[in-house]
Amino acid sequence: MAKSVIEVKNLLKHYGPADTGFTAVNNISFTVKEGEVVGFLGPNGAGKTTTIQMLLGITSLTSGTINYFGKDFKKNREESLQRINFASAFNTLQGRMSVMENLMVFARLYSVKKPKEKIMDLVSYFKSEGLLNKTYYNMSAGQKTRINIIKSLLNDPDILLLDEPTASLDPDVADTTLSLIQDLKKSRNISLLFTSHNMDEITRICDRVIFLDQGKIVAEDTPLNLTKRLSDAKLIVAFDAKKEIVEKYLTNEKQSFSFINKFTVVIETEEKLIPKLIFGLSKADIWITDIEIKKPTLEDFFLHIARGKSKKGEKNVN
Amino acid sequence: MSINRISGILLQEFYITKRSLEVMVDVVFFPLINITVFGFLSLYLSGGGNPASAYPLLMGMILWQLLYITQYSISVGSLWSIWSRNLSNLFISPISVLEYNAAFVISGSIKALIVFLTSALLSLYIFHFNIFQLGFSNLLLFFINMVIFGISTGLIIIGLIFRYGTRIQALAWGVTFLFQPLTAAFFPVSILPFPLREIAYLFPATYVFEAARAAIHNPSINWHLMAIALTENTIYMIICTWIFQKLFSKSKETGQFARNEG
Repeated sequence: MAKSVIEVKNLLKHYGPADTGFTAVNNISFTVKEGEVVGFLGPNGAGKTTTIQMLLGITSLTSGTINYFGKDFKKNREESLQRINFASAFNTLQGRMSVMENLMVFARLYSVKKPKEKIMDLVSYFKSEGLLNKTYYNMSAGQKTRINIIKSLLNDPDILLLDEPTASLDPDVADTTLSLIQDLKKSRNISLLFTSHNMDEITRICDRVIFLDQGKIVAEDTPLNLTKRLSDAKLIVAFDAKKEIVEKYLTNEKQSFSFINKFTVVIETEEKLIPKLIFGLSKADIWITDIEIKKPTLEDFFLHIARGKSKKGEKNVN
Repeated sequence: MSINRISGILLQEFYITKRSLEVMVDVVFFPLINITVFGFLSLYLSGGGNPASAYPLLMGMILWQLLYITQYSISVGSLWSIWSRNLSNLFISPISVLEYNAAFVISGSIKALIVFLTSALLSLYIFHFNIFQLGFSNLLLFFINMVIFGISTGLIIIGLIFRYGTRIQALAWGVTFLFQPLTAAFFPVSILPFPLREIAYLFPATYVFEAARAAIHNPSINWHLMAIALTENTIYMIICTWIFQKLFSKSKETGQFARNEG
């Protein structure tokens, strides 16, 4: 069984006075195993960034503990940080300096042996040799992201925290970046804690997802299992019949529906009822010309939490 | 303490200084302009007679710049990282606050030494004022005292910036100017009215300026003034380090430290 590399217990962050302040992270506990990719999701203000800042030691905890590799982070800060790194679309390197200069600085901060060789290896792995002499400020967002990731790998980290690394990238560059992260996972067995607002990215690269809302963990599972927790599906039926007949049938069946046009209806129903509805429509002499079924995605689950939807259609979120 | 990590910050300082016109202007251009202006002012005030009578003015500027450059290096060094949204990247590396500050103390001291030597040579060749006539031991004591006071001031300013954000960054350029009148940089302390005179003696730089003015006529070390300056500097350094630690901790507690880049 894989070892836990991050163990967070009863983590709490409260800003301001105890009675009138604001709790950003409310008593959360989770672990990340060796080689595991964990997605950290939640709406804005859920507490993701605050948690990451505490995990990196740049925001202090109100209470709780963070252990890296079985050791208390507070007592073993230097040793822990030597084995961790971080990249984000929101913090950058020194704009006036060249890429090589920036990377040389961080190679020293992480006491990298043979820094030039290490930089050249990574730059070559990420096919970024041409960027070395460029001033960081003058690079595109995609190039900066690549260099940020190179910086985050200088110390051969065992844990990599990535805070929306693909934010503000166009889809093509975002896809390349994700492929690079997937390659890293395969080739180096790094544990990754990954935040993103892009649900497809999370589904693509994460083994497990932790959902935060209002500072609390509201769900924790694999991306697939999380989508299964929502039983609502959308059935889109195009038909060649009178709209009133379809309306009467669906009303009798107590279904929630809406017409896109005179010949297309969208039915929001439980996934298991779809065959029965299709059969029922046919039996009611409705000629079905096209059927489309939309199953719940991770994005639906996200929206479900973000919008605080009613419990209808939810099996068990916790 | 890791030499590697300290050298990492020093390397960053070197690259930023090399690539930033702003730093070159603040650290090289303004000090040299100051010396030039004060040199001519000294000549004017001497009324074409004995220029030596106005030398304390020029000497005051040379010594005051030690305080300014050291404080500026410590405060603005961190601001460059905040402006570049790079401060978090530095502090998520294994570097400690002590190593981080040590790097800026070294960098500030080196810059202060370079500015001092350049200003001294400029004064010598253009205005025939030889600050080296005060003696090596005197100059060393003046340098140490002014640099330590600059470090203490710089620590407080950067602590305040970490704690309250860049909205108070103007302090990084402005605070040391407050010490020009309060430490009697260009005139004897006795000129100051009573309450200000008492305040002036609270600052170690005041004793340096007093000792330096006396040394123009008698280059022997004034141990009495230097002892007070060193004692005050030690007290200031302890208090300022403690305040910096408090501000830094509070900044991490309120989340301001991470927000500084937002």
